[in-house]
Amino acid sequence: MSEKNISVALDRDHRSLSLQDEKVAMEVKDWNLYYGSKQALKEVNMIVPEHRVTAFIGPSGCGKSTLLRCFNRMNDLIDIVSVEGEMTLHGDDIYAREMNVASLRRRVGMVFQKPNPFPKTIYENVAYGLRLQGINDKSVLDETVEWALKGAGLWDEAKDRLNENALGMSGGQQQRLCIARAIAIKPEVLLLDEPTSALDPISTLAIEELIFELKKDFTIMIVTHNMQQAARVSDYTAFMYMGELIEYTDTDSLFTNPSQKRTEDYITGRYG
Amino acid sequence: MKDWFKKGEHWIWFSASAVSISLVLVFGLLAMISYKGLIHFWPHEVYHIEIQHSDGQKEVVVGELHDSKIKEVEDASAPHGKVEVPQYLIKTGNRDVYGIDFRWISSEDVIGSMDTLEKDVFVIERFEYGNVYGFIDSVRVDGQVFNDPLKRVEVLKTQVEKGTDLNSEIRHIEKVEIGAINYKIEGLRLEEKKLRANDEFTAEEEARLNAERAELQKAFEVYQAQVQILYKDSRALGEVTLNIAGNHQLVVPIRKIVHFWQPNNMSLAEDIGFFFNAVGNFLLDDPREANTEGGVFPAIIGTVTMVMLMAVFVTPMGVIAAIYMSEYAREGTVLRMVRISINNLAGVPSIVFGIFGLGFFVYIMGSSIDELFYSYALPSPTFGSPGLLWASLTMALLTLPVVIVSTQEGLSRIPRALREGGLALGATKSETIMRIVLPMTMPAIMTGLILAIARAAGEVAPLMLVGVVKLAPELPLDMISPFVHLDRKFMHLGFHIYDVGFQSPNVEASQPLVYATSLLLVLIILSLNFGAIMIRNRLREKYKSLDN
Repeated sequence: MSEKNISVALDRDHRSLSLQDEKVAMEVKDWNLYYGSKQALKEVNMIVPEHRVTAFIGPSGCGKSTLLRCFNRMNDLIDIVSVEGEMTLHGDDIYAREMNVASLRRRVGMVFQKPNPFPKTIYENVAYGLRLQGINDKSVLDETVEWALKGAGLWDEAKDRLNENALGMSGGQQQRLCIARAIAIKPEVLLLDEPTSALDPISTLAIEELIFELKKDFTIMIVTHNMQQAARVSDYTAFMYMGELIEYTDTDSLFTNPSQKRTEDYITGRYG
Repeated sequence: MKDWFKKGEHWIWFSASAVSISLVLVFGLLAMISYKGLIHFWPHEVYHIEIQHSDGQKEVVVGELHDSKIKEVEDASAPHGKVEVPQYLIKTGNRDVYGIDFRWISSEDVIGSMDTLEKDVFVIERFEYGNVYGFIDSVRVDGQVFNDPLKRVEVLKTQVEKGTDLNSEIRHIEKVEIGAINYKIEGLRLEEKKLRANDEFTAEEEARLNAERAELQKAFEVYQAQVQILYKDSRALGEVTLNIAGNHQLVVPIRKIVHFWQPNNMSLAEDIGFFFNAVGNFLLDDPREANTEGGVFPAIIGTVTMVMLMAVFVTPMGVIAAIYMSEYAREGTVLRMVRISINNLAGVPSIVFGIFGLGFFVYIMGSSIDELFYSYALPSPTFGSPGLLWASLTMALLTLPVVIVSTQEGLSRIPRALREGGLALGATKSETIMRIVLPMTMPAIMTGLILAIARAAGEVAPLMLVGVVKLAPELPLDMISPFVHLDRKFMHLGFHIYDVGFQSPNVEASQPLVYATSLLLVLIILSLNFGAIMIRNRLREKYKSLDN
């Protein structure tokens, strides 16, 4: 990515943003989640704006990853989890009985903390989601793989080694490959669960730039431990603490002028 | 010393010695069966031994030295009160004359030395009655008698070669061509039975079947005529008269000769050639003389086919069971019970599996299949008697726990992150398992399969109940469709060892064959395992960076 983009990414101004003016991508109403009898999320209410980056920050165990995994029903995999409340994606109730989880996950993509490419070629990794949908037309696949790798800023590095095993790539490349894999199926929302926590600073920077680029096409939610990262990449930030959503507003206001005492304590480093 | 114990050095020494003992045992075992097995193929020298019996009668013994042992005889004048008297096992051959192949000779009776080589002696291997040791007196072909020492050997050689060709031609026609015709005629007979049973036996069907039968009969007669001619030719090959020890004369028809050689006149190169030739015959020939002579080819084919089929059955069964248990089944009492059962299944004695295979597969399933699909052939059973299919299935059952356990281990090693990665892209659970998890579990599945093969190839007891026989008339694999005959009985190297070693009338003769067959069995298991290990390593290579 060019010098110019970096400066754009770092010097953005969030001041003009306001949640009231945004189009709604996802909406969460009175959301509660229990691990067995233990409540992990309490009465969460929020609106996720379309084509913006929304960051979730908070100390470890505050429930931010758990909440993120609710958006594509990844928590379904854990037997003891039960949920109540309402969650919609562009108006569709994603916990409705008739909702097909697999097709929901096609609409809400996810990238995990640790890069998890499949032990296949780079090409097959990106094409995987398409093949799942039964798309096997070579020209469509070629086109989409190129588009996704370009979108993930990996095309220049990967174009000559598309048929090599993805596990031979560096950690940062692998994570961008995972992003490419996620965007190849053109989801509406992209969930990033601490995508840079396992990466070195340079790879982290590359991913952050990428996030800025990707929000043109996707609604992005990112969980991060790193407050500077939240400040750099996100338009809106939600601060969570002990399973509650304490404060949720545009990133600038949250970091410069938090309205809640607990937010201020956290961002000034008093705990967490 | 106290320090030494404190550091735990003695534990290191203990484990090191345990490892070395195991290694020594393994290599010792391999070395012993290799030596004892391979020496059988090396041309033995033939000795000339003169003995005098206690009654003063003298006798000449001509034969190969096969074994010796020390017998202790009480003797007051000796230093320890005992004298060691060596005893020698001599293979004298000429069974049709002497009645036995082997005899023990006490060194007390030997006049002169034990190691006098017999000059220019011939050894003739026959299709019946074993070897002949003796001197050629004359060769008679077409009434013409050859007495000249060089000429008669030359004539004998060409005649034996002709005989070998004739024999293989006869065998080919009898086993392959006429075998195929018999198989087809049997098929027609069954077809007729089937049509009759279904009341569809119309006149035109009858005409068609009869026409086909007549055609086959015609082909059969042609072959039979050919064989008759060949037999006549082989009878006309002539005969060789030998002088053998004990002032006997022995006439051997040339068509009965496998080959002949002069062990005491052979160079090292000839010895080596003989050795490889003998090994080749052992691997590629059919057994003769109640399995104590000839080769083990049908047993090799039987063993390998059975193991391959077993692998084909056990892999999907084991993998599907493991996937269900570790991916779908809910943790709880039932799953725990199933696990315990599987672990216990691995400890059930194999003969019990044999009984189960006989009772369930052969008697219940086999009979039901016969009633449903082959009722026209009854009362002669098709699948209702022991055979290749049931043996492979029984073996698959026996090795199932191994495959299940190692597949489960492999499944549990696949990182959760990868499964989530698949699911997050909109794959269903089964798609994730099929496309991501299972390919990565392949090395573990292969490990299970390697263990299963090792176990199945060496197991004999259950096979004796469900399909292995001493001598199978037909191979389970041949060129007649459907190529793999699941209903046939087959031979197995493990059973062959037992049969030759312990059930044969000629124990001394078969002993080296037991070793040779054991060595072969070990080699076959090793190479089957080696193949599987190669595949596994290739798969591991593919996924190796996954571990870090």
